[in-house]
Amino acid sequence: MKSLTAIFLFTILISKSLAQDIDFNTSKVSIGGYGELHYNSEKVGSQPTKSSLDFHRFVLFLGYNWTEKWSLKTEIELEHNFVRNGQGEVELEQAYINYHYADWFGFNIGVILPSIGLINEYHEPPLFFGTERPVYHNLIIPTTWFGNGASVYSNINGFDIKLTIFESLNSDKFSFSQGIRPGRMKGYFPDASRFLYSARLDYLNIPGMKIGGSISFNNAKGDSTNVNLIISEFHSKYNANNITAVFEIGNISYDSGILRQSFGYYFDFGYDINSFFNLKTKIQPFIRYSDINTATKTSSGGLNEKLFHFKEIMFGISVKPIDEIVFKLDYSERTRQSDNRKSKFINFGAGFMF
Amino acid sequence: MIKLIFLLIVFYVNIYGQSIKDAVDKSIFNCYGKDVNYISDKIILEKKLKREIEIKSEQNFFSDEIYFYKIYSNNQIIGYSILDNVYGKSMPITFIVMFDINGIILCSEIIKYREQYGGAVKNENWLIQFKGKNCESDFKVGKDVNTISGATISVNSVTKGIKKLTFLIKELISK
Repeated sequence: MKSLTAIFLFTILISKSLAQDIDFNTSKVSIGGYGELHYNSEKVGSQPTKSSLDFHRFVLFLGYNWTEKWSLKTEIELEHNFVRNGQGEVELEQAYINYHYADWFGFNIGVILPSIGLINEYHEPPLFFGTERPVYHNLIIPTTWFGNGASVYSNINGFDIKLTIFESLNSDKFSFSQGIRPGRMKGYFPDASRFLYSARLDYLNIPGMKIGGSISFNNAKGDSTNVNLIISEFHSKYNANNITAVFEIGNISYDSGILRQSFGYYFDFGYDINSFFNLKTKIQPFIRYSDINTATKTSSGGLNEKLFHFKEIMFGISVKPIDEIVFKLDYSERTRQSDNRKSKFINFGAGFMF
Repeated sequence: MIKLIFLLIVFYVNIYGQSIKDAVDKSIFNCYGKDVNYISDKIILEKKLKREIEIKSEQNFFSDEIYFYKIYSNNQIIGYSILDNVYGKSMPITFIVMFDINGIILCSEIIKYREQYGGAVKNENWLIQFKGKNCESDFKVGKDVNTISGATISVNSVTKGIKKLTFLIKELISK
């Protein structure tokens, strides 16, 4: 018995030394971040042109992995460079514990980003066209949408699945002009008697392609309203052979309150022309078409359903001397559908990630 | 009862401890065929050579050590493989690149991916793009190597990591 035990112990020791020998993980702090400076010029209808220079976002990412499986991810953001009297914002955009057992199972808990749409989780400036994020990701999917919650995820055979339980929206804040955007609680004492439930599925096994969608349910509540809503969206991105093409479409249906439906979509097509000139710098002209209506259906009907409906065409260019730095220039024209009022925007930006 | 617990511990530690080794075996046999055998060696990189390769590949080595495999079939060398790591956003990505005797890539595989985002670099369809490349090939992401939406950091990191090993294998073969 003793010798048997000794053999077992010896085996354990050998196994342990093997394990250490070929386990590459070490506890480590990681730092990252991104930022973007924007020049925005807009001319709405016949009003005089307004322009501003805005360091829109500066974000610091700080991560720490205790072990191969347990890690922490945090992101702190300063918006508009300065905070005073409700202008500018400091946000704890992410702060979660990640347990990554294996590719087929992991979970997050803390301040997280719900996995809805292409940009909410991947919002660094070099990753999307246009100086500002697509207007779809402002008004239909209210990016950056962050708050308290937990998620479990799995990646099996190219299918990426994520289930999220997340803080509820405040339905009192929903508006014709911005949909659910003002209802985000941003982790600030959200109502814990109810949650938003979200499921997302992506397929990644086609080279250069990401295709998927999500569906989310929330019984949103405020002091005076209580609205059941369903957010459904489809997203796809192709990024290969010098082509970048994006299509996203989203719908929010509400069972009560002033809003009954918000709907929008956009597509991007860009081509990297550096291959023609054999340059190291990536030069990507692009075109974007968006159709957005935050008040597609309303309880009152009539003009409101047209007043917030606009179509927008954008032409622009992204120049990336290296993948982590981008300079952007774009021009867009937005036409309000109720009266054909045109708004024109010229934006220039410089962004980075590290 | 104690014996059973010991057995369970041994079983667990073995599974855990050898998962990288098992994955390496699987990759080598998949690439070169079931009948091969190999000799593995942990190599400490010489400082000057390491720096030269880091400059050429625009990426630092994960550490001073890599694992080097000589692949034999019927007692003849038929290829070489290198097991190395690169950093993803914050965790190491362990990968192996398998070469023929001239340093041309036959196969590459991700042995272990440790993060929730960017795991699509494990995709065979993406990794197959490196087949046929060597130290003189272009590895520009977006042009020579397709990018993956949602895996930008991993794609850049692994691509540079593979490029780096094409320079290293050239040196190891010539020695």
